Amino acid sequence: MEAALAATRESAAGGGRARIRVRGVARRYGALEVFRNVDLDVADREIVAIVGPSGCGKTTLLRCIDGLMPVDEGTIEVNGERITQPIAGVAMVFQHFGLFPWKTVYANVAYGLKLAGASAAEIAERVPYFIALVGLKGFEQAYPYQMSGGMQQRCGLARALAVEPSVLLMDEPFAAVDAQTREILQFELLRIWEQRPTSMVFVTHSIEEAVLMGDRVIVLKGRPSSIHEDIAIDLPRPRSRETLGEPRFAELRERVWSTLFSEARQAEFQLEKAR
Amino acid sequence: MTADALRRHGPFWLSLIIGMALWEIAGRMANPAFFVPLSETLVRLWQLTESGQLIRQFGESATLFLTGFVLAVAIGMPLGLLLARVRLMRVALEPYIMILYATPMVALIPFILSMMGFGFAPKVLVVFLFAVFPVLYNTIEGARSIKPEMIEVAHSFRSSEWALWREVMVPYTLPFTMTGVRLAIGRALVGMVAAEFFLSSTGLGQLIMTAGQNFDTPGVFAVILVIGLMGVALMRIGLMVERYFARWRD
Amino acid sequence: MASLDAWLAKPATAVSRRFSLALSQTFLPRLVAGLAILLIWEIVVRAFAPAYVAKPTTILLAIPKTIADPAFLSAAAQTLIAVAQGLLISVVLGTLIGLIIGRSLLADRMLRHYINGFYAVPMIVILPLVSLWFGYTSGARLATIVFASLFSIIVNVSDGARAVPREYIEVSRSFRSGRWRSLFEIVLPSSLPYFLAGLRLAAGRALIGAVVAEFFTSINGLGQYILLMSRTFRHDEAFVAVLFLAAFGVGIDMVTQGATRRYLPWYRRDERTT
Repeated sequence: MEAALAATRESAAGGGRARIRVRGVARRYGALEVFRNVDLDVADREIVAIVGPSGCGKTTLLRCIDGLMPVDEGTIEVNGERITQPIAGVAMVFQHFGLFPWKTVYANVAYGLKLAGASAAEIAERVPYFIALVGLKGFEQAYPYQMSGGMQQRCGLARALAVEPSVLLMDEPFAAVDAQTREILQFELLRIWEQRPTSMVFVTHSIEEAVLMGDRVIVLKGRPSSIHEDIAIDLPRPRSRETLGEPRFAELRERVWSTLFSEARQAEFQLEKAR
Repeated sequence: MTADALRRHGPFWLSLIIGMALWEIAGRMANPAFFVPLSETLVRLWQLTESGQLIRQFGESATLFLTGFVLAVAIGMPLGLLLARVRLMRVALEPYIMILYATPMVALIPFILSMMGFGFAPKVLVVFLFAVFPVLYNTIEGARSIKPEMIEVAHSFRSSEWALWREVMVPYTLPFTMTGVRLAIGRALVGMVAAEFFLSSTGLGQLIMTAGQNFDTPGVFAVILVIGLMGVALMRIGLMVERYFARWRD
Repeated sequence: MASLDAWLAKPATAVSRRFSLALSQTFLPRLVAGLAILLIWEIVVRAFAPAYVAKPTTILLAIPKTIADPAFLSAAAQTLIAVAQGLLISVVLGTLIGLIIGRSLLADRMLRHYINGFYAVPMIVILPLVSLWFGYTSGARLATIVFASLFSIIVNVSDGARAVPREYIEVSRSFRSGRWRSLFEIVLPSSLPYFLAGLRLAAGRALIGAVVAEFFTSINGLGQYILLMSRTFRHDEAFVAVLFLAAFGVGIDMVTQGATRRYLPWYRRDERTT
């Protein structure tokens, strides 16, 4: 594991400064320590997937990176800036979509731009582009309640993309849609990313999703959690449906699975004791 | 006319005709001091309209109603939003607002009369007091019910406090305020008539009082009819407004 | 700063979180606010208003005197008895009509517009008419109370009867329950929350109706007591009567809400009815 972490730092150093630097980060809720000693680097245009059992704090970690929550130990730097609250250049896509029900698709996508002070002309130019990019053309005037989960998440994605971030944070973005839509959206996201690559931290429950999306998969587990392994995913890009059929895909998936679920029962007992 | 339309609207028209007929028949049979038929009521109504009296008095009542009502919304909504956002203030004032909401405001009318006398202002105050609490209470409860996820999203996009209000809190709360507005309409109407009865006599309240004192039973019925229709129309408007603002809710 | 903002923005719908906050976070601000209100009231009135205007200190002093006053007690009793009588009539009549309208589509279509129409008429407007019919007597007050409260019951009971989930009816029919039996075992309990909501509104309106009728007809009651006291510049005593009315109003609210919560813990409804 040490070697894997060292490799992370090296690759980041080799490919230029890491966009995201997480150093020795820990987070507590009262007496309960959620995770600790988390070190993570994410390079420019690199997708890092984070998997772990429920309660391991991966969602919390993501929120710390976004600046929505503070860390109790350690530092987080994004684009060289120390994170204490959300900064420009970082955008998040939420599991619950987080669309404002009173705003149309157009208004929702324009929201981030509006807040950042974009002019009306800029908004009028960019918003339609991103709406078309996520495949929602024609639905500009629709309200969230009129749309399916998949469509809503596309809108959430467009909203995040519209501010042209260098870092995208994805909080289990496809967990709340049905399985078929989920598959469709995964490949949509990959297609969009190929067009506009950003650094991405992708938190997910699904091991397959993590292996499909990521350049690396981080396994977060333990009580308190820490990074158990950092697995490099050497599948070629662009990824597509064929990737799912490749033998290497299955190998990597099994590797992640076994890392995650070794000592699974032991982890369960630890959970009981912690209560 | 299709059978389906007949089935749906038939009963309404039927009951309306039956009702009107009953009114007419009962009116003719009863003592004219107590009950008058529909026809006489309508004649009296026409007389009042022709003499311009009805229009004039209606105008006075409408002015009173609108002034008090608009004030209630103009103060109730922003105050409600403020209290929803500033937890300390809300927690501190909540029980007192609830008590006021449950107190019959009519009981305060004698005090207002005693302290402010006759005139337009005390009557506006009465209408205001009747109308403000539903607006205030519903706004607070509405704004409080906002899901934390919404605030989190705004936070992640680095929203300023001002932008939070403009883009999130106000649009979210508006439908709840409109529910309060709808509730306030009925109350404000009662306040308006009460003010015209018990404070200085103007408007439709004066009209109906005078008719009662002169044993002008048709007149009494006529004005009740007018106020009743006014109430129905306002309730309808209130419902439509409420539904319009809530159209993004499923 | 970020976490403080987030904390302040936390909505109070997280009930468990609220209760786990120290008591001083809710009790103390309320106490302080209440005292501040009373203080400002006292100062403003003493500084700017004539001596007879009510203020907290004098009201407090007037309370024991007023409560012992037989005139006040009889007035309070009169009003409360009238309200109780009127509510009883409204409940019986209103529940019956409400159930009929709720379960019979024909009755609903024929009567709905009348119900809504009468509901929209401000209760106070019938006073000149009612005083014409009953004279300036307690009959006029009773009629006003009934008129004020009846339609709240009808509207809410009919909503409740209409809203019996179809699933319940299906279950009762598949177990071959008779029509009357299902009425009692299913329609009534599932309509109960609606009924209680209607009762709460009706009681509030009944109170207003009673006071307003007493203003108009000057018959014995709290409304007339308040009128008399304020006319003779005894505002403190009058205000004690107002406090009594407020307490009664709040009490009704709490009782109906408590009843809903205790006997119908399976039910939750937000305050959206008229």
